[in-house]
Amino acid sequence: MLEIRELRFRYAAHAPLVLDGVDLTLRDGEIGILLGRNGSGKTTLFKNILGIKKPESGSIRFDGEDLLSMKRRERARRIAYVPQSIHFGALSVFDTVLMGRVSYFGFKAGKEDEAAAAAILREMKLEDFAARNVEELSGGERQKIAIARALAQEPRLLVFDEPTGNLDIANEQLIVEEARRAAREKGIGILISLHDLNRALELGDRFFLMKDGKIRHAGGPEIVTEDALRETFDASLRLVELDGRKIVLS
Amino acid sequence: MRVRSDLTKNRRRNAAAIGLLALAVLAAAFVCLFVGSSRMTAAECFAALMKRGSAAQVRILWNIRIPRVLAALIAGAGLSAAGLVMQTDLNNPMASPSTLGVSNAAVFGANLSIIAFAGGFLSTGNNLSSYTVGMNPYATSLMAFFFSTLSILLILGLCRLRAFQPGVVVLAGIAVGSVWTAATTILQFYATDVGLSAAVIWTFGDLGRATYRTDLIMAVVVGLGIAAFAVLSWRFNALLSGDAAARSMGVNVDLLRFVTMLLASIITAVCVSFLGIIGFVGIICPHVSKRLLGQDHRVSLPASALSGSLLLLLADTLSRSLGNGSALPVGAITSLLGAPFFLGILLGRKGGHD
Repeated sequence: MLEIRELRFRYAAHAPLVLDGVDLTLRDGEIGILLGRNGSGKTTLFKNILGIKKPESGSIRFDGEDLLSMKRRERARRIAYVPQSIHFGALSVFDTVLMGRVSYFGFKAGKEDEAAAAAILREMKLEDFAARNVEELSGGERQKIAIARALAQEPRLLVFDEPTGNLDIANEQLIVEEARRAAREKGIGILISLHDLNRALELGDRFFLMKDGKIRHAGGPEIVTEDALRETFDASLRLVELDGRKIVLS
Repeated sequence: MRVRSDLTKNRRRNAAAIGLLALAVLAAAFVCLFVGSSRMTAAECFAALMKRGSAAQVRILWNIRIPRVLAALIAGAGLSAAGLVMQTDLNNPMASPSTLGVSNAAVFGANLSIIAFAGGFLSTGNNLSSYTVGMNPYATSLMAFFFSTLSILLILGLCRLRAFQPGVVVLAGIAVGSVWTAATTILQFYATDVGLSAAVIWTFGDLGRATYRTDLIMAVVVGLGIAAFAVLSWRFNALLSGDAAARSMGVNVDLLRFVTMLLASIITAVCVSFLGIIGFVGIICPHVSKRLLGQDHRVSLPASALSGSLLLLLADTLSRSLGNGSALPVGAITSLLGAPFFLGILLGRKGGHD
């Protein structure tokens, strides 16, 4: 379980607060969706959770342990990241996934690490790609490899930063399916930022509506209302119900 | 299983490529031993190698050619590995072993030693012989090394303030490097004709300056550095995915950058201080290796080191064959030899990524 309390962060000493008292709780196996405009602090929040940035104050705990004072490699075994822009360097797909094990093996990959990487490739039906140069793959394929690498870390929490940004609709669906599978089958907590509100409503268990460095609304699908969306996005959006599902119309 | 067989094929290909490179280096080392201004035949060279030829021939081989070949092997490997590491650390294909201003600082140190101290305006003598006799035969190298280390520490110290952001490091290197160059220009302005020519000639890389002792010092530094880089191969691989991704995988990016840039720069400083400037090896060789064999540092590091040795050996052989008795500057030959090959690979192959 991820518990964030009163998290404050700014990029420089006298710069304005980018995170202004963020509170967030996410249980194992839950899919939490972060919604908000560009610049609302979503990516910064992720960077704090991943230990890429250090907060000014507040706490981040995972399963009761303090993430902020945890060793890098320990943290990497609990939390993995699928970044917004994916580039790897010219490595084989297998080696890219194996790289996800670096927090376990440190300097030289062992047999069990190779077995773990091979198992993940098999699970995700990426076996045929194993020897390919990852830089030669399409955007959707690379996004899948990034997920495979994150899963090789055997994390308890997976953080996705706008994973569907540059993907076509089929690939977008694929990524969403992978995220759902990780949550449902492996009990991994998923924290994901999305711009597509309908995709978000379809996928999420919990929603966090973020504005100006604060989470204004948090909870199940019921908190996603026209008023809450208007406040979050400064745009008037309509919500309609269709077959028991909420649909957002712009 | 399909995954296994494909990967095995990949690994075999990489191992074969590295094996071939090693053989080529060995062959080039022998060719290099057998070429020189004394026009010894191959048979005479071989006899001298076995310590069986005339005394002069044995001396030429053991005291001149072998230290020189060893210097090419060591410095080529060191400069090329250092270049690869700088390119990965700074995520910049134009980064070189001298990105931290190492070469400019070494040139300033050497100029200071030659122009100001050894027979320059701070001493009384002004004949050529006083450029070689000093209180210490390594005075110029020591001075060059001192200033390059100073430059490295200065730039790394400054860049610490900005957490070693690659863009900042590269620009700080250019800025500090230009200060050394300016200081060198001012120094040269006040130099005598002889001092100036001695100082300029020093900057032309020359493997002929190597002795067994300098080779040993270079070998220790380069050997330790490459061993450290090899151990860190996976960290470098993770860094190829960008800072944020590497950090999320548990890599201490700032520490990795600091330690490996320091090591790469010290390797460069030692090589440049003993041999003068040997440009371009550290850019060409890593790029060619990466183009041909990919960016996995477990492969590209040994491939870069070996191809660096190979290029320097070939360049040295050529420089001594073309010079009609005196060797042309090897630094010029590495570029003349390497640049067309480099451009060919750069433009000829589709789809490489750096």
